[in-house]
Amino acid sequence: MGNKQTIFTAQQLDAYQDCTYFTRKEILRLFYRYRDLAPQLVPLDYTNHPDVKLPYELIGSMPELKDNPFRQRIAEVFSEDGEGNMTLDNFLDMFSVLSEMAPRDLKAYYAFKIYDFNNDDFICKSDLEKTLNKLTRNELTEDEVKMVCEKVIDEADLDNDGRLSLEDFQHMINRAPDFLSTFHIRI
Amino acid sequence: MSSASEPVVGSSRSLLAAKRHRTVRKNSRRIYSAYRDHQQGSSDEEGGDDKEVDSNDPEEMFQNIQYQKEIIANIRSRPWPMRRKLKVLKQAREIVLKYEGQLTRTRGYQTAGADLLKKLYRVLYNIVVTFIPWEVRIKKIESHFGSGVASYFIFLRWLFGINIVLTIMTGSFVVLPELLAGAPFGTTRSKTIPKEHLASAQDLDTIWSLGGYLQYSVLFYGYYGSVRKIGSAGYRLPLAYFLVGMAVFAYSFIILLRKMAKNSRLSLASASDENFTFCWRVFCAWDYLIGNPEAAECKGAAIVNNIREAIVEEQEKKKDTSLAVLISLRILANILVLLSLAGSIYIIYFVVDRSQKLEQEKPELTLWEKNEVSVVVSLITMIAPSAFELVAQLEMYHPRTSLRFQLARVLVLYLGNLYSLIIALLDKVNSMSSAPHVSSSNWTNTSSTISSLSAQVSRISVSEHHNSTMATISTAINFIHNRSSLITASNQTIPFEKNARSQQDQCWETYVGQEMLKLSIIDMIFTVASILLIDFIRGLVVRYLSDCCCWDLESKFPEYGEFKIAENVLHLIYNQGMIWMGAFFSPCLPAFNVLKLIGLMYLRSWAVLTCNVPHQQVFRASRPSEHCGPFSGQEKIYDIISDTVASDFPLWFSKVMSYVTSPVVVLPAVLLLFMLIYYLQAIARSLKFTNNQLRIQLQTERTEDKKKVFQMAAARLQVPEASADKNPDQQESDIPSQEASIHTSSPQQNGSITNVQSPINRSNSIRTITQSASGADLNEGCVSGSVRSPAVIVLPKHQVEHLPNSRPQHFIGGRSGSCRSKSCHHMAYNPPSDLSNAIHTDPLYRKTIRSLHPVEAAGIIAAQNYGGRCGPTTRYVIVNEHRPRKKLLCSTTRIPRHYLMEEPREILELYQRNIKHYTPRTIHQQHPPRSHTSQQLRKEEEETGKDRKRTSLGKSLRPCSLPDHHQQAHFYIGERLDSFRESQRARYEMQEDDEEEAGKEGIDWGDFNLPSPSQTSVKEKESSHTQRQPVHSPRRQYQSPTRTRHMGSQLKPKLRGQLETHLTESDSASIASSSDQQNSSTDQYIHVIHSKERHLGSDVRQEKMSKKKPKTNFDLNYTESNDLICSNV
Repeated sequence: MGNKQTIFTAQQLDAYQDCTYFTRKEILRLFYRYRDLAPQLVPLDYTNHPDVKLPYELIGSMPELKDNPFRQRIAEVFSEDGEGNMTLDNFLDMFSVLSEMAPRDLKAYYAFKIYDFNNDDFICKSDLEKTLNKLTRNELTEDEVKMVCEKVIDEADLDNDGRLSLEDFQHMINRAPDFLSTFHIRI
Repeated sequence: MSSASEPVVGSSRSLLAAKRHRTVRKNSRRIYSAYRDHQQGSSDEEGGDDKEVDSNDPEEMFQNIQYQKEIIANIRSRPWPMRRKLKVLKQAREIVLKYEGQLTRTRGYQTAGADLLKKLYRVLYNIVVTFIPWEVRIKKIESHFGSGVASYFIFLRWLFGINIVLTIMTGSFVVLPELLAGAPFGTTRSKTIPKEHLASAQDLDTIWSLGGYLQYSVLFYGYYGSVRKIGSAGYRLPLAYFLVGMAVFAYSFIILLRKMAKNSRLSLASASDENFTFCWRVFCAWDYLIGNPEAAECKGAAIVNNIREAIVEEQEKKKDTSLAVLISLRILANILVLLSLAGSIYIIYFVVDRSQKLEQEKPELTLWEKNEVSVVVSLITMIAPSAFELVAQLEMYHPRTSLRFQLARVLVLYLGNLYSLIIALLDKVNSMSSAPHVSSSNWTNTSSTISSLSAQVSRISVSEHHNSTMATISTAINFIHNRSSLITASNQTIPFEKNARSQQDQCWETYVGQEMLKLSIIDMIFTVASILLIDFIRGLVVRYLSDCCCWDLESKFPEYGEFKIAENVLHLIYNQGMIWMGAFFSPCLPAFNVLKLIGLMYLRSWAVLTCNVPHQQVFRASRPSEHCGPFSGQEKIYDIISDTVASDFPLWFSKVMSYVTSPVVVLPAVLLLFMLIYYLQAIARSLKFTNNQLRIQLQTERTEDKKKVFQMAAARLQVPEASADKNPDQQESDIPSQEASIHTSSPQQNGSITNVQSPINRSNSIRTITQSASGADLNEGCVSGSVRSPAVIVLPKHQVEHLPNSRPQHFIGGRSGSCRSKSCHHMAYNPPSDLSNAIHTDPLYRKTIRSLHPVEAAGIIAAQNYGGRCGPTTRYVIVNEHRPRKKLLCSTTRIPRHYLMEEPREILELYQRNIKHYTPRTIHQQHPPRSHTSQQLRKEEEETGKDRKRTSLGKSLRPCSLPDHHQQAHFYIGERLDSFRESQRARYEMQEDDEEEAGKEGIDWGDFNLPSPSQTSVKEKESSHTQRQPVHSPRRQYQSPTRTRHMGSQLKPKLRGQLETHLTESDSASIASSSDQQNSSTDQYIHVIHSKERHLGSDVRQEKMSKKKPKTNFDLNYTESNDLICSNV
């Protein structure tokens, strides 16, 4: 306890517990995971909110993320600078959203952002193509990709604007039986 | 609270805010803000949530605090960056701290208590979490195999937890007391080994079959004494034994129910049968748990296959190839399955029969002969599923379907085996009543439980194949079934007891306990063996011998095993069912199961990680005796309760009990229970139905309502400058949608159009429209101009949606008039649907839009417009003319139908547009009039307005909000490029005005609406546009003048006053509200047209027209208004 207390104050831990779906222990574990990525950069004392950012290269090398085709997007979405460089807060955010406890709406919101590659608040065809290519490692032919994109938009686009808005996406994802269990990283 | 919401609302409005409005606004913001803020920028959210104005009202303060607490509680589910969450949290906490002290003391205590509880809960939770075992192990499996396989282990862990609780229950209340305080070993008959068996009591063979010392130990029912009280403390062991038995069932039952409820809640959302095949395959395909390159590669390949499969399915949906072959193959497969099922049943029966004969003929049985039945049964249950799987390949079903078939078949197999076994054993018991070792009742119990379990499992497994969560549910269901079956079984066993015990000095409960334990052990051995032999060795062979083989072992024949989640989960459930059944007869069974599960956990996880495969099964059970066990000497087990009541409770209690338990009481009670069950079921059914309905409603509303609210909020937030940029885009997007709606040209469209007019409304309406016409290209729709069927379907949706839509409008518009405006909106929607006119107006709308924007295919548009909509436009024109205004005060008789006929449709349209145009423009002086006509019109309007003022009583009422809205809409459509900013400003003005105006307008316009409903029908009948036009025109005339007035008034307070007076003059206040909206909607159309096309000549013509037939118009107007009203209502 004594050792842990020096990392965060009790208030900090409390606030983190309010702001995430983690327990004390998990928060500390996440901190250590974060710190292990770059022990020389991350101080052991977070009571005065040091401004430390880990570059995306380090974040993306975590075993939880390194095989994920969307790891870069995940890091970008959750990082405040939009480039994947994460502070501890961002890091906690990320895993909180991806935790088992996070509600569907929250997950859907971030999933939408992750799949929205160009950050225009819509998943358009180009986003879909990128998603597909990442997902399948470019194994699908162009025609196949095109067809799948069309089908996806056809299925989920409620307002017929040729792209998926957040509402479209949520509408679709809320009915997906697998979404909650797959959009989930156990840390 | 108000202060909190204010900043967000924006500075544009400084009107008195009704509390209700604020709260509504706030709520809406609260709900949607979380997912909106990315668009609006964080500033608004932070401001809204954090800023609190000091308020002296304790109630408000309290609410404020509650609100802040809500923020604190929900902050984690907001999609904000941590920095912001922390900030908001801090502020909210400060506010709570600051104001909480000012509240009354009791409230302070309450909150303090709640805080303390929360802290305690958190600490407890933190502690409990640390005791959750195998977290790392499961995570590792997850990262290798994804969530599916991990679900098996999570389920296993869950079972482990249940078994621990069961162990504690039986251990602490039954086993330990017996050990500590019970009569020691060898003191009573039931606790001593019979002399004839003493010699062999320590033989391995005896021990292996749980005989000898093991049989006479706390492991089994027979060991427990029937002494009422044991030890110095007088522990009532028999009672405890009974109660613990019941508690075990109750606990498992409750746990299962809870799990089931939770899972059903989770699965509720996904219960809809909507088809998102491709979406799900794209967006839900990747398992984020995967953290292993090999697994990631597999997953990637699987996704590719999956998507390709979907594509092929999609392409081959229509053509069915070689149907005959497929059907014959499937028939063949089913025949094979049926044959194997029948064969297995026969074999089991045969084996049981044989064992019976053997027992009769031979005094001593060999090991094989003893275990023949169980081994055969377990062999069948092991082999048959694999055979079924082979057969299933013949059928070429979709994998999901084939899994379902597979599970169903396995289930049938298990059931068949169990029943045949039971029947065979019953036969056996009957034929040799002298010494039946296995009581039939037990068998039936077990079989029924197993069957129920397996059925559930199959269901579960199906789902699990894709999802892990389902597994728990199924297990829960199974358990419940088991429970009930067990209870009944125990009851059943009692009557059998007499037959069974006969000369047997061994008690049958012990026998059952032995059997169960034996089964459990054998099952464990089978599991371990299968894991080691089949999976591990197969894995080894495949890995190391693949080089020296002529084919690729890894990818062809043996391959690596595959982890069969469904079957393994079934097995776990089966195992747990055994434990539940046996726990009563062998109190230590749960403890054994705990050990078994631990071992299984490690072995399975190891096997999965190393060689990627496993699978198998087993089963059995039996009933009570008279010379052994805690219930010996009692006819029925539950007599322990009545005994206790009779001897240990006061006399009156037993009397009461005897009354209560008399048939007079029990029978009605049972009846009552049945009725209750039926009633509850009926309620559940109806609730399910309504639930379904609501869900459908929600689905439509959720998406559309959200959008509306968002757009409203966006409109508010947009500063004029920023809005200018956005508006064009919105308009563009809106226009196509509008067009689409128009094309559908169903009455509904009208409603949608009205919505479109106001910025907020627009979005809603557009969306609904688009949905109805989903998939169809906008352009195509326009060109065709034909009415689409979807529109009709849409109607209900529109109605549903209207409510939400109306709210947003209110927010924007005004506080005071919100209620009315809502109703008005509804009205407006409905009328359009009813009236054919509305449809016509729509086309006009489009036309105008198109004309304004050359980019769009003008020709197509024009054609459409002309073809179907010319008539309506003409009507509008008439109405719009200024002269009517003057006359309006007196009468509404200006609409010339004939005129329309005479003049070319196009011209008519133009006129209408012009009229409308000028009105909007007049409203917004900022916009320079584009066309001369429009300017002229304005002037005229103003003049008329002045005149009216004079004539009017002199009341200076505020301008009508509705016209303003419409004007805004017009601007967007026609004048986007030119005056977005202006329009925006106009909006703001409008909004302000609208608030006050909405109510008033409604009242004023009501007069017009009164006329008979026959008009609508007439309109519809009218084939030609011209005919319809006149009907509409009257309304519009009224409206248009008034609107024009309003417009003017907005610009100039004087004008407003005039308009208001106008309204007041027409006294129909009650009806007015609805009618007003309708009018406004129509006006809007008109306005739009105006803005787009301003033809000087047309104006003139219109005027003429109006003059010619004022009387006829009047009548028509009347009728129209009536129709509108009716529709609205």
